[in-house]
Amino acid sequence: MESLLDFARGPLFRFSFAVMILGLARILFLDLYNAYQAYRRAGDRNIPWGLVIKRSLEWLFPVRRVFHNRPVYSIFSILFHVGLLLVPIFLYAHVRLWKDAVGINWLTLPYEVAYGLTVSTIVFGAALFIGRVISKSSSFLSRKQDYLWPIVLLIPFITGFVCAHLGVGSRLYNTMMLIHVLAGNFIFILIPFTKIAHCVLMPLSQFISTLAWKFPPETDDAICITLNKKGAPV
Amino acid sequence: MKTRKITSEEREKAFKQPRKPEVIEKQKLDVRYHIEDFEVEDRPRRFLEAFAAILKHTNYRLALDHYIRMSAKCSRCATNCQVYQATGDLRDIPCYRSELLLSVYRRHFTLGGMLKGRALGTGHLTDEKIQEMADSFWDCTACRRCAMECPSGIDHGLITHLGRFILSEIGIAPRALVVSTREQLEGATGNTSAIPVPALVDTLEFLEEDMFEEKSVEIKFPMDVEGADYVFFPAVSDFLMEAETLMGIAAVFTATGDSWTTGTGYFDGINYGLFYSDRMLERVVKKVDAETRRLKGKNILIGECGHASRSAKYFIPTYCGGDDAYPVINIMEYTHRVWKEGRLKLDPNVVTEKVAYHDPCNIARQRWIIEKPRELLKAFCKNYVEMTPYGDENICCGGGGGTVSIDEIRPYRTTIGGKLKADQIRKSGCEILVAPCANCKKQLRELVEDQGIDCEVVGLHDLIYKAIIFDESMVEKKEEESVNIEDKE
Repeated sequence: MESLLDFARGPLFRFSFAVMILGLARILFLDLYNAYQAYRRAGDRNIPWGLVIKRSLEWLFPVRRVFHNRPVYSIFSILFHVGLLLVPIFLYAHVRLWKDAVGINWLTLPYEVAYGLTVSTIVFGAALFIGRVISKSSSFLSRKQDYLWPIVLLIPFITGFVCAHLGVGSRLYNTMMLIHVLAGNFIFILIPFTKIAHCVLMPLSQFISTLAWKFPPETDDAICITLNKKGAPV
Repeated sequence: MKTRKITSEEREKAFKQPRKPEVIEKQKLDVRYHIEDFEVEDRPRRFLEAFAAILKHTNYRLALDHYIRMSAKCSRCATNCQVYQATGDLRDIPCYRSELLLSVYRRHFTLGGMLKGRALGTGHLTDEKIQEMADSFWDCTACRRCAMECPSGIDHGLITHLGRFILSEIGIAPRALVVSTREQLEGATGNTSAIPVPALVDTLEFLEEDMFEEKSVEIKFPMDVEGADYVFFPAVSDFLMEAETLMGIAAVFTATGDSWTTGTGYFDGINYGLFYSDRMLERVVKKVDAETRRLKGKNILIGECGHASRSAKYFIPTYCGGDDAYPVINIMEYTHRVWKEGRLKLDPNVVTEKVAYHDPCNIARQRWIIEKPRELLKAFCKNYVEMTPYGDENICCGGGGGTVSIDEIRPYRTTIGGKLKADQIRKSGCEILVAPCANCKKQLRELVEDQGIDCEVVGLHDLIYKAIIFDESMVEKKEEESVNIEDKE
């Protein structure tokens, strides 16, 4: 068990983490490259930056948007995302692993805050899952992955909580820790290939939606030629 | 803002099929708008060819690639869609509508989708799916309010716009829009209402006489003036149906003395290309530019029309020279500016009714013009009321995206598309509803009629025409002339 845990924490973690970083870098690069190409081709290159930044910030820090529509769902979603982002990055145990491995460290969450955020992530994540199941509109739109990924995301939180706060025996602790690390590694690999990629793409969304309306000039002729419609009546 | 779901009777009325069964059979397409006959064989292949050609020559791939990675399927957009709010039909959720096209893109134009599709032998584009898109993309009013509420920043209006464009390339587009655009681009009259130039000149001369009688001021519609500051392009239907709006605009220019002109070479601001084809959008926009060049004008001035304003404002720079293109302004911007400068005086005692202002989506959604018309109205309307939500969060009239021009779907527009707007108008209790857009006005008039709301729908300049105060010298001049004429007689 311990050798398996060492493998999961060691080479497997390094592999998964590298896949995540390289994968996210790839899609971020592709998005920015596409945006650059679109900008270069656009006939009108005036971007209303003020509006783009305002609307981007409104969704990255959705304070104003919370009570606008579906307030309960919105608050649950925000609290779920806060824990999802903060706990893995700022948990003391995680930061210590980084320090031991590569000698770098950063600020950590106080014990009580980490405890509260872990519980809230689990609770609100479960609530969002249930909401998706029972909401007519959400369940109608949902694909299999929309149900599956939230559950997968909660596994490291639940197992981490068991290990850190429930004082379980060493055998259960090791089993839980193994699941915790394996699930974490699995999530790292999933991130660039699933909708979880929105963690890096979301800040670009308003810009891309705005830029997409900036059409290239002279497309009429080009499309007509490609479709053999040159000279065809309207 | 929410609305009650439609009843089964309303549903039956709204979705009543206006087309003959034999036409539906012949065209193999069960939609509620009329379509000119088109090639029905091999549609999926031709759809994909058109999609590929459009992707090759445009920037749509940028958005599609981003959206297929981002879409969270949270259904939050449903809360902002007036169509879904009225029907409660899950297929009307904007995200579902977008997925119709995104799934085609994912399957046929991404490596992963192609590999998966071929390996499993699934996801092929079918006639049924084209049928669903042809239905769904024209149920949407393209108001883009859903985009305001999407946490992932997906602009479902852009997807509807692209979907309609691809469909039009295989012959699926509302006949009303296609026929009008054909007349505008290839017809003898060169405009969507098929008004010949002599008829236009007659109409404007008649309006000038009318205004002289009413205001005792010589108010003119200058024609073909070279070098004018503003070359004017209203929705051409205004010449037939919105005389008071045009009279108000002419009155403002008479009061300020600024130079403006209408060109007899081309005088139509309407651009249905925005609703169904980027190729037509480009062609129409270039006609506006060409006429302004012919007249050596300095600015392009668009009348009271939302889509005409958006087409010119955002696509003249695209297709006609980028930063070197002619500046485009909407008439409300001009009128607001001259009023601020003290060159336009309005009588605050003329309009006493309860007045509300409706934001056209194509003007307000991008926060272009929101407060200016309100400042004007509040300055001379004693009893101004606000409908909320407004501005960039406004509720569509229900005839957006060109649907208002499709007369055969009027029951759909006034029962479903405009239902939320009707609730909002009722709640405001307004007696006069100001809508500075030819399309919104037509839809809102039909809406208040069909929904039994006691409210008059007018343009902003209709009210300005009533309230405008001319300089004494202008009025006296006319009286002196009358005396001179009498003396001569």
